[in-house]
Amino acid sequence: MTLRQKLILLSTVSKGLMAAVLLLVLPWAVQTLVLRHTDATLRTELRQVQARIQEVGIEEFLPQGNRPRRTHYDLLQDEFIDLQAAATGARGRDTIGTFARPRQGGLVDFRVLRHHTQFRGRPYTVEIGKSIASIEEVYDLLRRLAAYALVFAVLTTLLFELGVISYLLRPFDYIVERLRAVQGPTLPELPPLHTSTSDFQYLDGSIQQMLAKLQSVFDHERQFIANTSHELLTPISILQSRFENMLRAETLPEDAELQLVTSQKTLQRMTATLRTLLLISRVENNQFARQERVLVREVLAEVAAELEDRIGEEELTVHWEMAGEPVLDPANRTLLFTLFFNLLSNAVKYNQPGGRIDLRGHGEPDGTYRLTIRNTGRPIPAEHLPQVFDRYSRFDEAAAEGYGLGLAVVRSVTQLHGIAIAVTSDAARGTEFVLRLPEPVSGAGRVGAAKAMG
Amino acid sequence: MNVLIVEDDRGLARELGLFLHQERYQCDFARTGREASEKLFVNDYDFVLLDLGLPDQDGLQLLAQVRRERQSPASIIILSARGSVDDRINGLDLGADDYLPKPYSLLELLSRMQAVTRRKHGVRQDALALGGFTLNLSERTLRYGSTALDLTRKEFDLLHYLLLHRGKVLTRQQLSEHIWGSSASESTDHDSNFIDVHVKNVRKKLAQHEPGVEWIETVRGVGYRLKADATSPAA
Repeated sequence: MTLRQKLILLSTVSKGLMAAVLLLVLPWAVQTLVLRHTDATLRTELRQVQARIQEVGIEEFLPQGNRPRRTHYDLLQDEFIDLQAAATGARGRDTIGTFARPRQGGLVDFRVLRHHTQFRGRPYTVEIGKSIASIEEVYDLLRRLAAYALVFAVLTTLLFELGVISYLLRPFDYIVERLRAVQGPTLPELPPLHTSTSDFQYLDGSIQQMLAKLQSVFDHERQFIANTSHELLTPISILQSRFENMLRAETLPEDAELQLVTSQKTLQRMTATLRTLLLISRVENNQFARQERVLVREVLAEVAAELEDRIGEEELTVHWEMAGEPVLDPANRTLLFTLFFNLLSNAVKYNQPGGRIDLRGHGEPDGTYRLTIRNTGRPIPAEHLPQVFDRYSRFDEAAAEGYGLGLAVVRSVTQLHGIAIAVTSDAARGTEFVLRLPEPVSGAGRVGAAKAMG
Repeated sequence: MNVLIVEDDRGLARELGLFLHQERYQCDFARTGREASEKLFVNDYDFVLLDLGLPDQDGLQLLAQVRRERQSPASIIILSARGSVDDRINGLDLGADDYLPKPYSLLELLSRMQAVTRRKHGVRQDALALGGFTLNLSERTLRYGSTALDLTRKEFDLLHYLLLHRGKVLTRQQLSEHIWGSSASESTDHDSNFIDVHVKNVRKKLAQHEPGVEWIETVRGVGYRLKADATSPAA
């Protein structure tokens, strides 16, 4: 769940709760308010009646003879005023309550204010009433009004908050976008982040600091590799040239000649190792740009052509069963050549004479491409399988043969290209490398305009 | 031909000078970019062998400057130990004629220099003769009379290289460096041993057409030599 969704959810839930509580409380509150208002009205009316009695005397209000008489002010009989002589001793405070009173032949609930008074020494009881039905109309109206206001308030604040949340969180998307743009050790110049939220400024600042540190680590390593490269390759270069010059001398004794050739060979092995180590470092230091669109089949065919003599010498057969046209994009063609060269030359080196190499591949539903390179050689023992991609892992100590650095290069190059690689090996099926090539990023890159490395 | 060797390491410059002197090149030396600029301003050179890691300047800067100011018509070959990925591409873009990563074989350097010279003078050597055989360079084929021999790419490269340095002993190391290049392949042992296999195969193919002639001679322990042409002995 994203932060935005959570905030929206929080806001919605809190509003919902508030609305629910209000809806529960409102009827009661409105009712209380309306009743209180009614009671106040009744009291006002009582005062008016008392004033009237003082003015015109009580007779006008009293029932004539034995027939009780009521004065109704309105046609609908929603209100009444009733004055009766009371039994002596009927005194006390005013009471207000809801009582049933006859109206048009039936009993109807009224809100009634009963008041005991004395006029010229005789006690009277005054009742002023208002029908509950008429009160409830007002009450209904108020309740509906309150509900509408509530819904309106909830919806408008919710919409407003959605807008504000989106606006507030916009810098977050922006920061993520900028981070996504960081690929490899050369960091793009990031424009300053415009936000008034100090948290985001803090986050952005920390990220920038981290990136700067990362950059300096990359720079240092790059510098280190360059220096090492220079410091080690220069003396090797001197030795190699010296050996070559010495070998040209015509007066050299034969055994000295042989020793020189042997030394040269040792030096050559050292050079190859050093170059490979530097290559791995450079790949891991991201010094290789991936800017090309590479047709994998084409590179494999090139590698196979490069190895044709060895394949022929070992009388191996290569079986191609590749469906479709796998493409790596963006990619570095030179590195991919090295990758497949190492895998295929291993498949040749560790094969048995007359064996076979299978190159199979097919596209997967998720857009990736599954490529397998299998050879019919001696299997790698299961306990060595997890280490084959490590630098200098040897799978057969006795034979003193190893994958050396070749598969370490393979691992670096596959990692750089986002290719997943796995290896299985058993006596029945031989050794199989499975590569899962990622879906090409369409549009970018151009087809293999690589200037191959020397 | 005059060569300016721009190299800050004395030992390396010395070996290079020794070798080129034997190949009848006149060598001059510069140890810094400034020195090189001055010499290029005063003298005419056919070749500049340029190290990129100079103490006072990046060799690429010097290269750019020379090419920009058209100071010198010299062919420039970059010799670099930096081995940076972009050096080769940048170097060639800036107008270098070739690029060799250190350590290189002196023989390979000589071959590249000869190739640059041929290119510069418009010498399009399309075919090389070896007895009754013709090596066609543009088609990359070997023919005996009108019959084409089935050579693999590596076999063609091997024979071509031997032919270019006809009469000289080439070590396995020199041959494998030319054929396999400096491609970061760890199986170097394998590569130089494989030279023997290539030689064996080429011999077999040549012998099918001219039996009895041992074109590729083995120099025990050291390497191979292509039989010198009887009519015009190699220099």
